[in-house]
Amino acid sequence: MSRWYLEQSAQNDIAVSCRIRLARNIEGLPFPNRMTADDRRELNSRVKEAVLNSNTPFAKNLKYINMCDIPEIQRYAMVERHIISPEFAAKTEDAAIILSDDESISIMIGEEDHLRIQVILAGMEFKKAYDIAESVDMLLCDALHFAFDENLGYLTECPTNLGTGLRASVMLHLPALENSGEINGLIESVSKIGFTVRGMYGEGSKSLASLYQVSNQITLGISENNALENLKIIASQLIEKEHGARQQLDKIKLEDVCWRALGTLQNARILSSEEMVNLISRVKLGIGMGIINKECLPIKILIEAQPFMLMQANGTMDATDRDIYRANMVREALL
Amino acid sequence: MLCEKCGKNHATTHIKTVVNGIVREYNLCSTCAAQSGYGSNSITGMLASMLGDMTPQAVKNQKCCSVCGATFSDIAHSGKMGCGECYKTFNDEILPYLKRVHGATRHVGKIPNRAPLVVKPKEKTVEDLRQELARMVAEEKYEQAATLRDKIKEMEGK
Repeated sequence: MSRWYLEQSAQNDIAVSCRIRLARNIEGLPFPNRMTADDRRELNSRVKEAVLNSNTPFAKNLKYINMCDIPEIQRYAMVERHIISPEFAAKTEDAAIILSDDESISIMIGEEDHLRIQVILAGMEFKKAYDIAESVDMLLCDALHFAFDENLGYLTECPTNLGTGLRASVMLHLPALENSGEINGLIESVSKIGFTVRGMYGEGSKSLASLYQVSNQITLGISENNALENLKIIASQLIEKEHGARQQLDKIKLEDVCWRALGTLQNARILSSEEMVNLISRVKLGIGMGIINKECLPIKILIEAQPFMLMQANGTMDATDRDIYRANMVREALL
Repeated sequence: MLCEKCGKNHATTHIKTVVNGIVREYNLCSTCAAQSGYGSNSITGMLASMLGDMTPQAVKNQKCCSVCGATFSDIAHSGKMGCGECYKTFNDEILPYLKRVHGATRHVGKIPNRAPLVVKPKEKTVEDLRQELARMVAEEKYEQAATLRDKIKEMEGK
């Protein structure tokens, strides 16, 4: 398996990626907002030991990384690859992460909860992602005692995660629903039944590239299976509506928009992050609709042309130089 | 009914406040309600509104978690529990909030597969034994008191 954004195919044309996150805390230690430096060190060493000393074949693919050992550019590049949260990238003191070779599994240590187990996969593979997350949970559960209450379930720092501690999400590419304006009504009705729709980079962020993240809101009084099943139903309905809205688009106008986007990306010499994201979204739509017949991975380009990803590959640059580098990189990718 | 603040959207949140005995009622749309700190998903807004019912004296004398020392105002202001024990300490305060956010107050999901945690009883200190001794004497249980006295002697002799 390789990184999620490298595994894009026709099957995940609309459902780009899915993510499972389990919030877990260790019994007897205060939650991160009340931890002392000693508590944080104890947490890190206990988790490190639990993972590295477990003799499962699975644990061999996991690496323990101290966040202070990674330069800032690489930390924010991890945010752009959706491995860690922006809040976690800003913390370095006594923060650590456990990461699998293909980056599909990441465990943030000392974020809002002691452990945030995350699995991210391409497409809408909730079941597969949950099974992986569960095996990580089992591995850690044997060595660490998780704070659990028979009435309230897994105890979490924020009561919004209490119970299963499970947040499942799917990233959907919904340009036609956005274009018709239907998306706003859908976001509102989905939020009334216990789901949240956010822009690509989570909370409060405006949607970029018509990418929307749909996730479950309720974690108490619902089983993991039901929560996943419900999210799958909601996501499938949104996908169906997007297909419907795509059929309503004016064919020639759509072709014009998609080809112009590709033309700009193939010829630009200076390309801002925002422009790139918007144009890639149109090229992705064009490929999905069979208008542009091109062997390329728009989401791969979109992720690799993000500011910190560019700097990770090419060294520190100011915004103007980045825009030039970005234009070169995208041109080569779309040759 | 339209939102009283923006006058554009439908009012979906009804807010009633009592400040110094004066009752005020507002009808706001979800956006304006969230901006005013009454958003249905804003944990701090919701918990802080519960805290608002407490007098300054009550805030001063409130209980705190025996494990991490967090008070309910700490939790209401940050929206974060201090430790697992806080859920027991502030059970009564937090349950109505859980009901509103999750529509439920009981976990039905996965149960960790683990051996029950063996809690080692804490070794009694000489001070603990002295207090116990005083209690036994007061209760006229002289035989038990004598055993305790010998034990204290033995511990002090070490």
